[in-house]
Amino acid sequence: MRYTEFTVHDILLLLQGAGVSVALFAATTAIGLMIGLAWAVLRYYRTPVLAPCFAAVAELLKNSPVLVQLFLVFFGLPVLLETDVTPVQAAVVTLSGNTAAFIYVIAVSAIESTGREQIETARVFGLSRWQILRRIVAPQAAAFGLGPLTGLLVNQLQVTSLISVIGVMDLTKVGAILNLRTLKPFIVWTVVGLLYYLMAKLIATTCARLESRLRVHSQWKGL
Amino acid sequence: MIQIEGVGKSFGQTKVLDGVDLRVAPGEVVSILGASGSGKSTLIRCINGLEKLDKGRISIDGFRVDDPKQLQQARRRSGTVFQLFHLYPHMTALQNITLAPIEVLKVPKREAEDAARELLASVGLSGRADAYPAQLSGGQRQRVGICRALAMKPRYLLLDEVTSALDPEMTAEVLDILAKLAAAGTTMLFVTHEIDFARQISSRVVFLEQGRLLADLPTADFFAADGGLAHPRIAQFLSKMKKDH
Repeated sequence: MRYTEFTVHDILLLLQGAGVSVALFAATTAIGLMIGLAWAVLRYYRTPVLAPCFAAVAELLKNSPVLVQLFLVFFGLPVLLETDVTPVQAAVVTLSGNTAAFIYVIAVSAIESTGREQIETARVFGLSRWQILRRIVAPQAAAFGLGPLTGLLVNQLQVTSLISVIGVMDLTKVGAILNLRTLKPFIVWTVVGLLYYLMAKLIATTCARLESRLRVHSQWKGL
Repeated sequence: MIQIEGVGKSFGQTKVLDGVDLRVAPGEVVSILGASGSGKSTLIRCINGLEKLDKGRISIDGFRVDDPKQLQQARRRSGTVFQLFHLYPHMTALQNITLAPIEVLKVPKREAEDAARELLASVGLSGRADAYPAQLSGGQRQRVGICRALAMKPRYLLLDEVTSALDPEMTAEVLDILAKLAAAGTTMLFVTHEIDFARQISSRVVFLEQGRLLADLPTADFFAADGGLAHPRIAQFLSKMKKDH
């Protein structure tokens, strides 16, 4: 007989699922940030061959569905490389790559938002390209890019739910299991949705706080 | 010595500089006059290496600006103050001034900050060290811009229409500082529309017209009826500027 009532254990299960989602999100964001920013820096230095290559990779990644990329990595790679790919590995690889592609785009436009005259001024004062990137471009690009980045991160958090289809026990997968058992979809998916909402809100609030700190210089305090 | 020899520069079909020769010796204050679009700002941008020369050569104390290997050395010798200030908006006045000394000259932070505070005090901004550019008036921003250039202890100060974006009152506060610098023997190459002020502080005045030097004369000669004013174009320009004021 099917046990259709909710139990205390279900809360733990949901929290565990949420933990998996958050962990995957955090890990893939960190990896995506490093890779995406590295690509953007290569572009800043106009590195021949490498920069156009990564631009093309980013182009492919951001213009194809994440789910298709996920299937390609989870089902395609094992065939191609004749190795096993676990669901978690596939999820980390796919989401990191996808995040990196979008962060690359944001970082490039943020870097280009720094006024040409400021870069010229710094050059006249003898600063190297790296010093200009570090002291002039990066701080302003960070403030500029944080808005789009917030949107991206909130979206990437939702995108992690796709990995449930390859069997990672994330929040959505836990929701699906609870739903099948209890046959109370309205309650289950409302709770799951709320948990995603809370996590997204947390990301947005943190980013907004960081942004206002980075923009201290443009806040008018009066003469 | 800043040596400019036969410098030519075109943007597309437009000749902006056409065979300019100019020398600025240490201790001189040389004003560059000329209508808008006559190539004054481009000349400054050529001297500090922001524009590639099509023709000719520029050297500062023997270091060639047009040789990438010597450019850094050449740039160390000059300091530039810009028409639109170009302060770094995310840095305080103090940070704007100390950035290059710390990063390029490797001056210890404390030392650079002490020097910057002294500079700020000398231009009447001791209380504004921690203000961001957005919190400063135009005149104050330009004074910070001057401090930023002076912090690198340049032998030559390049001033590109530094008061053009300022109202008369703020212009006066900036010119006041420049007059003090000139009196202290600072070498300056001074692009300006402030004719009276140029007359007052310059040792020499040059006049640019469509990328060519029409005159390069000691100040007294430039404003003499049988000197620069004998040239119809210069006389016309000066009388036009007088009318506008």
